[in-house]
Amino acid sequence: MYNRIIRNDILKSKAITLTITIFVAAAAMLVSLAAILVVNLPDAIDSLMTRAKTPHFMQMHSGNIDTDRLEAFAVQNVAVDEFQVLEFLNVEGAQFLFGDRSLADNVQDNGFSVQSEKFDYLLDLNGEIINAADGELYVPICYMRDDTAKVGDKAVIGEKEFIVAGFLRDSQMNSTLSSSKRFLVSENDYAEIKSLGNTEYLIEFRLKDLSTLGAFETAYDNAGLEANGPTITYSLFKTINAISDGMMIAVILLVSILVVAIAFLCIRFTLLAKIEDDYREIGVMKAIGLRVSDIKKIYLAKYAAIAGAGCVLGYALSFLFKGMLLENIRLYMGESENASFALIFAIIGVLLVFLAILAYVRGVLRRFRKISASEAIRFGTSQEKSAGTKHFHLSRNKLINTNIFLGIKDVISRKKLYTTMLAVLVLSAFIMIVPQNLYNTISSNNFITYMGIGSCDLRIDIQQTDNISNKAAEITKRMNSDNAISKHVVLTTKTFIAKSSGGAEERIKVELGDHSIFPIEYSDGRAPATENEIALSAMNAAELGKKSGDVLTLVIEGKEKDLAICGMYSDITNGGKTAKAVFEDNSAATMWCVISAELSDQALIDETVLKYAVGYDFAKVSGIEEYITQTFGSTMSSVEKASYAAIAVALIITLLITLLFMKLLVVKDRYSIAVMKAFGFTNADIKAQYVSRSVFVLVVGIVLGTILANTLGEILAGGVISSFGASSFQFEINPLSAYLISPLLMVCAVLIATLIGTSGAGQLKISENIKE
Amino acid sequence: MKNIITGENIVKAFGEGDEKRNVLDGVSVEINEGEFVSVMGPSGSGKSTLMFALSGMDGIDSGKVAFEGMDISALRENEFATIRRTKMGFVFQQPTLLKNLNILDNIILPSMSSERKNAAQITERARVLMKKVGIEELEKRDITQVSGGQLQRAGICRALMSDPEIIFGDEPTGSLNSSSAEEIMNIFSEINDDGTAVMLVTHDATEE
Repeated sequence: MYNRIIRNDILKSKAITLTITIFVAAAAMLVSLAAILVVNLPDAIDSLMTRAKTPHFMQMHSGNIDTDRLEAFAVQNVAVDEFQVLEFLNVEGAQFLFGDRSLADNVQDNGFSVQSEKFDYLLDLNGEIINAADGELYVPICYMRDDTAKVGDKAVIGEKEFIVAGFLRDSQMNSTLSSSKRFLVSENDYAEIKSLGNTEYLIEFRLKDLSTLGAFETAYDNAGLEANGPTITYSLFKTINAISDGMMIAVILLVSILVVAIAFLCIRFTLLAKIEDDYREIGVMKAIGLRVSDIKKIYLAKYAAIAGAGCVLGYALSFLFKGMLLENIRLYMGESENASFALIFAIIGVLLVFLAILAYVRGVLRRFRKISASEAIRFGTSQEKSAGTKHFHLSRNKLINTNIFLGIKDVISRKKLYTTMLAVLVLSAFIMIVPQNLYNTISSNNFITYMGIGSCDLRIDIQQTDNISNKAAEITKRMNSDNAISKHVVLTTKTFIAKSSGGAEERIKVELGDHSIFPIEYSDGRAPATENEIALSAMNAAELGKKSGDVLTLVIEGKEKDLAICGMYSDITNGGKTAKAVFEDNSAATMWCVISAELSDQALIDETVLKYAVGYDFAKVSGIEEYITQTFGSTMSSVEKASYAAIAVALIITLLITLLFMKLLVVKDRYSIAVMKAFGFTNADIKAQYVSRSVFVLVVGIVLGTILANTLGEILAGGVISSFGASSFQFEINPLSAYLISPLLMVCAVLIATLIGTSGAGQLKISENIKE
Repeated sequence: MKNIITGENIVKAFGEGDEKRNVLDGVSVEINEGEFVSVMGPSGSGKSTLMFALSGMDGIDSGKVAFEGMDISALRENEFATIRRTKMGFVFQQPTLLKNLNILDNIILPSMSSERKNAAQITERARVLMKKVGIEELEKRDITQVSGGQLQRAGICRALMSDPEIIFGDEPTGSLNSSSAEEIMNIFSEINDDGTAVMLVTHDATEE
């Protein structure tokens, strides 16, 4: 019996059944792919990091290095299993030539290393440790991916010629998110090209027990060893390796949730219309004594069949696409050893989608209990309560066109039916506006206030070089006599040990200098003005458990110094953890210097940037807009792309759901439509009624969606931004796009969907539909 | 007497292939001003099909249907909708009232769809008709709050709103008890006495 019912139902609504099956299949495919990736990614990363023997703790350093002191520290520290210092020869991108292509425009810090002897091995694409012969060059895998080089190519570094012998996997620097890339050469070749660049050191440790890493980090800090570059730990290496593909998994899961939600909506509309169609029959079945659970089974069977078919199709499709998605993981990290486990995990994921659909259908079918058999047999339709329309009578309507009146009245009297469409439109407006507002906010000039820097025209960064202070002084000397510069300031960043509220010691970066020249906005308090004051970034304050007015103790030249916290500010740079003070210090090493300058004439920015960039090749000189773009350019571009994608997704959802809803509404209302046509309503009249219904719901949806976007959306976006270190967040709204263009796009989508969805009303025959 | 509807050699078939059957096979009919025409026959004999064909609510396979001399197949959708709204009235077996509207709103609905409307005048006419058929107390009631006979009277009021040339009744008493059915038939007689042509489809010979 079930087979016959299912077959008849499917034949009667082929288009909608196909749409639901496609969405279920898409959701099942995405969940299956996410499951396969979730198993493969950590496994592949673990394999790579185990084979390469990735360091547990790595300190980058440039300048003088005391290896004996480091060696002594490693020997004395019981947690250390192995220790080594590797050299990394940082060479200007322009010195790399592959055929006629150079790496001059490459944003990575490219450099050379020789194969390590103890751990942190560079591996070939088979996962074997590479032994580079003289004249051979092994190139980071990312340059194979972007076709910069291929095996057998001739490479010229400076004036020395190499042959690209292969590509390497680097468990530390594989990811494009890692800013450095290691090329592998033989020791002889390394010695030959050493004069081409600056040597940096990778001070690396493997520990006997990884759980002691936290204590080891503190011990290294406290020992005052070489530390003028970034510190990276094993877990961070793992995160960096996982982040690109991890983000992909997160996006796939999010999209699959969205697709499941759309499938749910399609099911809801179809099921509600079907129940409405069969209302009298359901009443009869209840009246003759069939149990609700038996009646439910008839309906559940159809959706179980659709969900089953969709899930099997989706699982099969995931096999077609898994190769494509795993390609990146295989290339960068190699094969996972748990491929079969991944397939079982994928089946579990698909099964969850299937069960979720069944649970949802059962939920919708719960309304069977509420159907009164006598009412259903008598009226043949659900008697929706029409509260709210008591005073809304056609006979009293003198203002609105009859068709518009009927449209609005229908929405008000069948609120429940329209709630789903309203929810979709609210959601669409929300996902359309929030990313747009976020992009507007981070691309506006005011965003600089979240970066902990004041409003200036030019910025010079001096870091990872010797004698930073002298070099900064050299530049400021020139600025003093430069008429193009109206004012400037040098801010020097050093690290000091700070004592948190709990008494724990922590190293914090403090930016020293005159903070009144280019003032920033303080979310609380003000800039430090005296030697005994310090301002903290929001994230630092939270981590240290401090607030304005509290006292923070810093250890300076071995002595404790109490500083009053005079203000708090937003800073999403440097991991969000910075501080600003004005005291003099000659003890701690300078990490970096920033020189901010204002120009007498804005038109001189490019010229001045060029002048200082040419004059001081150790410094990074940039106009402030360029600096923001360089720092957040990729984030801004991602958010911009995401905002366009969100608009497209919102419009597709709006179009699809409105279309389906209108089609189902026409099916549901065919009797009313036939009655109206019989009494002289034209097709245009009927269309006008449906357009009025959808536009009415749309207007309410846009208003609610916009309010939600500017309240909940702002809180959500603020939450994301605050995780980077901003203490307060407010959307910068572009009213033209948020309040005019976006709603207009939605209006267009809804109108198109309504007109297409109600086209069936014109073909509807009165004689076939007026008889009950 | 003015001719209202003429049907010539109307053919209408249902089914496909071997199962195709001519329900109307060369039927010709003429209805003039003020006439009361009853179409009687057993279930499935094509009475309703003839009514739907003559009223233009359903197409025909061959033949011709003219309303006041105009071939209805040559009329555009808007033109024929205007004729249905202003010159024809319909009463069906089921009352065919819309459930979102109360009794009064259902009655005035077709008249309110015209481009130039006077809501006050329309409502006033509806009240006069409701009084005439004895349902003046029910104007604010929902359609679920009244009896089948009362709904059918409301349906008749709706059909009379535009003072039509002809009223088509498709078994209008089919779902009513005998006393309600008699009252409804009396109303149809009164309508006809007032000069409106009536075409009634029924399988019950006692109705005439």
